[in-house]
Amino acid sequence: MWLLLALLPALPFMSKFYLLLAFDALLFGTIAMSLDLLMGYTGLVSFGHAAFFGLGAYASAVLLERGIVSLWACLLGALLVVGLYALVVSFFATARRGIYFALLTLIFAEVVYTFFRYTQTFGGSDGIQGVPSPRLIGDVAIDTPLRNYYLVLVYLGLAYLACRVLVTSHFGRVLVAIRENEDRTRFLGYDVQRYKLAVCMISALLTGLGGALYPGRSAFATPDLMLWTVSGEFIIMVMIGGLGTLAGPVVGGAFFVLLQEKVSSYVDWYFIVIGLVLIFIVLFMPRGLLGVRDLLGGRRWRTTA
Amino acid sequence: MKRVTWGFTLLVALAALVWIAAPAVSQQKVVKIGDLGSKVGVFEGYGKYQTWGMQMAVEELNVKGGVLGHKIEIVSEDDETKPAPAVRKAEKLILQDDVKLLVGAVSSGATLAVMDVTKKHKTIHWNSVSCAEFMRTTKFHKYYFSNQPDSRMQATGLAKYIVDKMGKKVYIFYTDYAMGQSDGRQFKTALEKLGGEVVGVAGAPLDTKDFSPWFGAINQSNPDVLFLAFAGTDSLRLMTQLHSFGMTKKYKLAGIDCFLLQQDLPSIAEPMEGFVQLNHFSPYNPDANMQAYNARFKKKFGTDANIAAGSYDAVLFWAAAVEKAKSFDSDKVAEAHEGMCIDNTHIGRQCIRKEDHQVIMDMHLYQVKGGKNLPIAKIAGSDSIGEAMVGKDPVEGFTWEIKKK
Repeated sequence: MWLLLALLPALPFMSKFYLLLAFDALLFGTIAMSLDLLMGYTGLVSFGHAAFFGLGAYASAVLLERGIVSLWACLLGALLVVGLYALVVSFFATARRGIYFALLTLIFAEVVYTFFRYTQTFGGSDGIQGVPSPRLIGDVAIDTPLRNYYLVLVYLGLAYLACRVLVTSHFGRVLVAIRENEDRTRFLGYDVQRYKLAVCMISALLTGLGGALYPGRSAFATPDLMLWTVSGEFIIMVMIGGLGTLAGPVVGGAFFVLLQEKVSSYVDWYFIVIGLVLIFIVLFMPRGLLGVRDLLGGRRWRTTA
Repeated sequence: MKRVTWGFTLLVALAALVWIAAPAVSQQKVVKIGDLGSKVGVFEGYGKYQTWGMQMAVEELNVKGGVLGHKIEIVSEDDETKPAPAVRKAEKLILQDDVKLLVGAVSSGATLAVMDVTKKHKTIHWNSVSCAEFMRTTKFHKYYFSNQPDSRMQATGLAKYIVDKMGKKVYIFYTDYAMGQSDGRQFKTALEKLGGEVVGVAGAPLDTKDFSPWFGAINQSNPDVLFLAFAGTDSLRLMTQLHSFGMTKKYKLAGIDCFLLQQDLPSIAEPMEGFVQLNHFSPYNPDANMQAYNARFKKKFGTDANIAAGSYDAVLFWAAAVEKAKSFDSDKVAEAHEGMCIDNTHIGRQCIRKEDHQVIMDMHLYQVKGGKNLPIAKIAGSDSIGEAMVGKDPVEGFTWEIKKK
């Protein structure tokens, strides 16, 4: 599978544009996968993941703009900034459950969005634009669609590996237990908030790393990346792909990006079409796109644990 | 991950890629040009007229055989008035559709972001609506051209008229993003240079629904003139609310060229009565070129043209440059543009200044009377364009600080 993804650029119709589209598909797919750790495995719905993504993008864009073009510095910067913010958000949000968790993540994200929207140091509503491409090592810049594609593929691979190890470990079982019955898990002696805080941090950091890759591909970071609608899109990607499957959200993210790209070229109000697709999936394919195999008579996809 | 799941994932991905690649079949003897603008939202009107202007130019050119023997086709995309979708769509237009000209975007923030894409992919880029001052200065690149009067071009002439005829104490109220900030900055600079006094400044976010929280500060500073740097549906809401608070009668009003399209004025004629702005076109200007253009536009689309008519000229300039260069090669076409003049634009003869690729346009002061933008004075293009400042910071030393007199 990985080999096939690695060979994808060799397909005859893979123009530079499709490579950029593939970049977006894999990037947002990976972010959806990291959100799945919360939504699918722990039962926590975050409406604030766009803030992690946007902060990662800003951290990277600020460094690039100031001439610090090392990719590693950008990633480290994003980890620090997102980590610090995620620690605060997670500390407060994980003390609550259900709708309160969702609301707290949303409110924190809106605060961050508003801060960047009105702070001229970071370009205000226009954000930071025209940043140079990051350098992998020495003078090797990630400045072509092909190089960006392979970079995001590595990101997907490592993120998937981390998530897979996590959900199949004892830690992952406890997360599923929290999702199924938080009180009982607590009675069993587990420090539930600590587990929730840890998974929130991991999910946020993975998302922030994705954000750090974004300015290298698009040359900008704007407050719009942190808007609550973007968080909503991440949730839609997870729902489309299939909750608690890891692979499902990757498919969901890619499907969402491609659908958005294709439909928006023909229909101005393309979100109506995406909304209809989502309604169809929720009503008839509650396991998401991966659940299609059930309809086709294939082996039933077991979600978690 | 289970192997079968990855297989399924790949199947979905491949199916999707084949699907998106399907229509990417090029036709011979056709050259595509890209129309990138707001199709929905706060700037929808400007995007629609940008498209119509381009359509009119393309039809006229195709009747005469197109350009270099190629029929011209327009590919339109929605920038959603945001940088991220604008960049994505610009990449699609350039890398997938292989457009040789990109016109857009509408929002200044989106246009600034798109300029990085057109620079990177060496694509001829015309801006006919956005007016932030950075485009022909710090963000300028050799493939970028503009026939939209930017903030600097609008500010000096308008500030002089305001100081001379309307009053010296001005409150600046702007939409808080690239365009509004740029217009506010340049107007403040010009006004203070001419001896006017800025008694207050405030910015409201793009797509604000309720402007009333700012009205108290405006009333408290007691200006003679209220300078408004808004556009689209923001302007409609703002004027309605100012009017309902009695502020359209209390203060003299002035604003930027794209404050409202002519089509919107009749429905909001009373609040807009007396509003002064500086721009390059009005269907009520008796200028023969404007009237001739407007008649053709109205015949085709059933409505008057407006300031987005620059997109018509953009296509004509590009086609003329391609013919001159005898090639679609971006470098050759960009060079052919420089210093070029053409006679048949929507306002007659216009020339591109070589230094910053800005079209030198005669400007007119207009005042709204009975829902019509009527001309009250003319300013020669050579007087309004200002010095070329490629690579220089147009806001160096600027501060929003109010200088108390």
